Amino acid sequence: MSLADASTTRTRVVETGLLWGLVFLVAGLSLLPIGRLVFEGLAPGGQLSTSSLGKVLASPTTWTATANSLVTAIAGTVLAVLLGGTVALVTSLTDIRARNAFTFCFVLPLMIAPQVTALAWLQLFGPSSTLLKLIGMAPALGSRNPLYSREGIILLLGLQYAPLVFLTLRAGLRALPKELIEAGLAAGASPLTVLRTVVLPLMTPPLIAGIALCFVSSLGNFGIPAFLGIPGNFLVLPTLIYQRLAGLGPGVLSEVAILSLLIGVIAMAGILVQDFMLRRRDFRITTTSSAARPFELGRWRTPVEILLWTVAILILALPFLGLITTSLIPAFGVPLNARTATLANYAYVLFEHAAAKRAFVNSFVMSATAAIVIVLICVPLAYFIVWKKSRLLRLLNMAAELPYAMPGVVLAIAAILLFLKPLPLLGFSLYNTIWIIVFAYLARFLVLGLRPIVSGYLQLDRTLEEAAQIAGAGLVRRLVTIIFPLVAPAAVAGALLIFLTAFNELTVSALLWTSGTETLGVVVFSFEQGGDSTYASALAAVTVVVTIGLMLSTLLFASKLPQGVLPWRD
Amino acid sequence: MARLKIDRARKYFGSYTALDDVSLDVEDGEFIAVLGASGCGKTTLLRQIAGFDKLDGGQITIGDRLLSSSERHVPPEHRKIGIVFQSYALWPHMNVAENVAYGLTVAGVRDPERARRVAAALDLVGLTGFAERRPGLLSGGQRQRVALARCLVTEPSLVLLDEPLANLDVHLRASMEEEFSRFHERTGTTMVYITHDQAEAMALADRIAVMDRGRLLQLATPSLLYREPANATVAGFIGDGMILPARLLSKPEAGRCKVEVLGVEAVMRCRPDQPAAGHAQICLRARDFAIVQENEGIAARVDRLSYQGGFFRMEVRPVASSETVLHLDAPEPAPAGPGDIIGLRISDGWVIPEPDRAA
Amino acid sequence: MTQTRRSLVIAALGGLLAASPALAQEPTGKLVLYTSQPEKDAAQTTAAFKKAYPKVEVEIFRSGTTEVMGKLAAEISAGQPRADVLLIADAASMEILKKDGRLLAYPGAKVDGLQPGSFDADKTYFGSKLITTGIAVNTGAKTRPTSWTDLGNPELKGQISMPSPLYSGAAAIMLSTMTARPDLGWKLFEQLKANEAVAVRGNGAVLRAVATGEKTFGVLVDFMAFNAKAQGSPIDFIFPKEGAPAVTEPVAILKTNKNEAASKAFVDFILSDDGQKLALAMGYIPAKPSVGSPAWLPAGTKINVMASDIAAVVKATEADKARFATMFGN
Repeated sequence: MSLADASTTRTRVVETGLLWGLVFLVAGLSLLPIGRLVFEGLAPGGQLSTSSLGKVLASPTTWTATANSLVTAIAGTVLAVLLGGTVALVTSLTDIRARNAFTFCFVLPLMIAPQVTALAWLQLFGPSSTLLKLIGMAPALGSRNPLYSREGIILLLGLQYAPLVFLTLRAGLRALPKELIEAGLAAGASPLTVLRTVVLPLMTPPLIAGIALCFVSSLGNFGIPAFLGIPGNFLVLPTLIYQRLAGLGPGVLSEVAILSLLIGVIAMAGILVQDFMLRRRDFRITTTSSAARPFELGRWRTPVEILLWTVAILILALPFLGLITTSLIPAFGVPLNARTATLANYAYVLFEHAAAKRAFVNSFVMSATAAIVIVLICVPLAYFIVWKKSRLLRLLNMAAELPYAMPGVVLAIAAILLFLKPLPLLGFSLYNTIWIIVFAYLARFLVLGLRPIVSGYLQLDRTLEEAAQIAGAGLVRRLVTIIFPLVAPAAVAGALLIFLTAFNELTVSALLWTSGTETLGVVVFSFEQGGDSTYASALAAVTVVVTIGLMLSTLLFASKLPQGVLPWRD
Repeated sequence: MARLKIDRARKYFGSYTALDDVSLDVEDGEFIAVLGASGCGKTTLLRQIAGFDKLDGGQITIGDRLLSSSERHVPPEHRKIGIVFQSYALWPHMNVAENVAYGLTVAGVRDPERARRVAAALDLVGLTGFAERRPGLLSGGQRQRVALARCLVTEPSLVLLDEPLANLDVHLRASMEEEFSRFHERTGTTMVYITHDQAEAMALADRIAVMDRGRLLQLATPSLLYREPANATVAGFIGDGMILPARLLSKPEAGRCKVEVLGVEAVMRCRPDQPAAGHAQICLRARDFAIVQENEGIAARVDRLSYQGGFFRMEVRPVASSETVLHLDAPEPAPAGPGDIIGLRISDGWVIPEPDRAA
Repeated sequence: MTQTRRSLVIAALGGLLAASPALAQEPTGKLVLYTSQPEKDAAQTTAAFKKAYPKVEVEIFRSGTTEVMGKLAAEISAGQPRADVLLIADAASMEILKKDGRLLAYPGAKVDGLQPGSFDADKTYFGSKLITTGIAVNTGAKTRPTSWTDLGNPELKGQISMPSPLYSGAAAIMLSTMTARPDLGWKLFEQLKANEAVAVRGNGAVLRAVATGEKTFGVLVDFMAFNAKAQGSPIDFIFPKEGAPAVTEPVAILKTNKNEAASKAFVDFILSDDGQKLALAMGYIPAKPSVGSPAWLPAGTKINVMASDIAAVVKATEADKARFATMFGN
């Protein structure tokens, strides 16, 4: 064999190896836990039985919850898209001032736990609302809070997930070259027409990715319907699952597994719709020019800025203020004033409570690991999905949705079922180690990285890769030197989503932690459960501040990063 | 040895035949243009040569190295060829020097050798001083030159150019055309140039391969292609040829024969093996007509005149067959206006050897 | 693998120690405890236990009752329950585990002096304390209910919060216990519904609502109200005169335990005077009245605990919850 033949063979081995490695990895992260749940649903304890399946499918409650889930998820997504999409367009395409600061503020709510947001809004609309009292519209004491309703859930889902659409869309808008907008304007189109006919069609991939993420996030959200739905007995699938789990008794696990698979089926249907919408057009942007010049808002600039900052205050400052107020009082219901204000809660969680400190480190390490590993998996994975059109991986692409859509507690149960016993052949067990949580994080948040990165590929002109291939670069080198830098904005957006979500995550680790591997969520939950909400708020507030610090510190080395990689830096 | 040999290449996209038994032999150091309208299969052919797609039949070799066949496929990164893409495909995250140096880095060439070769390549395309620029800040022509430099710096034995001038304005095209020619002369690299613009192809190529619907219709020098198109499609495509039905009247003699066309007798160029009788198609060019007195030659009515600078393009219809449209060049001042009847004489023409292929 | 080796070493050491008669009774090795106690309490419990049995190493998993039971159920399904002992909020979960044959009977447990009815007659689980549910009142309230039926008073309309039995095991016990009472029954819940009482996810949410004044009245467990009050929250707690339903936070040993001696030692400790005093110190009503009553309880208060037939509760709970869900559904 000639030298060239040997290198050809090596290339083939590398590509095939990478492909199969990814297949196994994604199957292991997605199909394995799901498969274990299917097994648990249909053959609890190894005995084939369809009684749970029959029971779940025959129960009218199941279908009420399914219908409610669909309605709230779809309406919440619509709201999130309208809000996040508009904000992304305005911040990216117009000449508003302080857009970096604004972007920063609009991303932050992602890391405030949904229940904190829910509480802040409940207070805002409740009888004790300072704001409503101020404008003389406070409802009478004892009147029902309007947020305890389907509409309330939809509103908060929309607010909670608007940053998802914002982040993915902003990454996409970064790639929009100025010629395309200028060509539209030169053809006599008004800025709004250019937006409708040029910008939005080209932004379909990131928009769809954002919509898909919003949809599964809303579908799987437990915190918001738990707070707002339970009082009105408005059931969605995640709260129904939790209800079943609390019910105990025989067959609980298999019922819970089946209900979770139902969520999974809905999530996958969403992906099919997404696939269909993306298949019809070409979104590649082929020029390499600099970013678009912003539209001038003229006299509308100040009003628009005021509106934007009002939104930011509503979705960030309001819950954050709620956290701060609670963290500064000694106990619930004590009015906050100069005499009652105390830093004792902070002192306790920062200096006295050993697990809280450990939890910071654990959560940081695990979230960062998950974010980095998932990006490292998703860049080659999306390559095979989008460009090589590997059928196998396209199917797995759908499966990746499942662990994110179902309640975290169910994924944790799947992880226990899988990893309780020592791994076959390897002989050691992941159980009660940090690795079982890392596994669960990787499985759960894979889709948060995958969607933005896939959309990044869809906007990329493949000749950029082909040029490198012709220059003699093998797949791995191309991935590292050409493709990764080109999809970096999307990848960073994905990594950020993963990090922020995992850093606050509670439901997965609630079942998987063990002494020494506590996460922030576990500690906050422990405090809440013991009635120590003041400690919980202090810890959550510290978390927000630390994260802000981490995000700001990225600015230090931002000049070394390719342009457009950090969402909050032009 | 960089002789590119494409042997009965076949490629299907579902039920669609994108390449239908295409064979092409490119000599070492030759400049070949592949010419055709969009969708004719020329880009598919380029992607086969580059190795981006797999062949369904036939084979492609460079020198004595088999690159593609239905069983074997050398990936693009091991083909050691260069491409200039239509979109240039410059990497926006690298500056000009980094773009150009990439292939050298991949090949393991290190500084100072690498820096020297990058500088030389940039010098060659006239971009010395632009090394630190980002591609986004360059003009179209400059990007084109960077793409060329990037492609040539590794000294590939075969360079593929995919409509490299399509995105440039007219002035730039002319100067880039010259540049490509100079390049080819200087480097002696084998070049395959994909284009839909016959003027470009004619100006640059040693030989032109005309493609249509996945087939190679003719491979010949520009002059031969113009003068002796092998079939009606090529005849119609190249140089605005007019294809007319004719009747053969004599055996070929010294490369010419007599035919009857539009009711008159004329002498045409033809192949030596042309049959002496029967129906045929002939190809006429605008310059093959001469305007004569109204009562001589073929009577025709003038439809339209359009000024071309120094001469007019005149569209006429023969009175005897008014559905046929002919065009010819008339000197300034115009000898006749729209509606006038003129006489036409046919001074030259070519009997198309494969009339059955008429589209 | 290190762990296996270490436990082998410990077992060997245990064997050596067992040879010396003086230490024959002393349990050693590792004990795995699953508990839904609040975190601070869990830490104190294990610390005190370790002090009493210094040779036992305690590994603890703490979470909500639902989470603890979910984890245990998954482990059981995977064939390897890891917990040796359980200390969870309600007896109903214990009753279900007992029915499944998961619990080890401990006939030797020292139950003398424990509140009657606070432990299983078959000695498989033992209440460690009494957590009663009563009425929490924001100090700004104009009226003070004294009985459960007072919650049906139209004056209280729209001002009541309670934990949902659909999400909280303790609340489910309360529901079945109260609806089984002829004097309260479903009538009480119909009145609560008519008064637009809001069922929230758990006791923590009730506490928050009442302490912040979002709702004036709440159905709440005693210790949460009293602890908040001690920290300054504007909240009071009332033991309704019909009696307060209670959960006992029982302790139990799993049959699949890996360290029976240490498990039994843990049960012994919880039921011992020391263990009971610890519960008292944490602010709970101990299961053993003789050790005293918590400081928040006005001296001489006789708590009227509503008797609850756990077996009957377990039997009725599914139907009761379904009825509750229909009643409080919109």
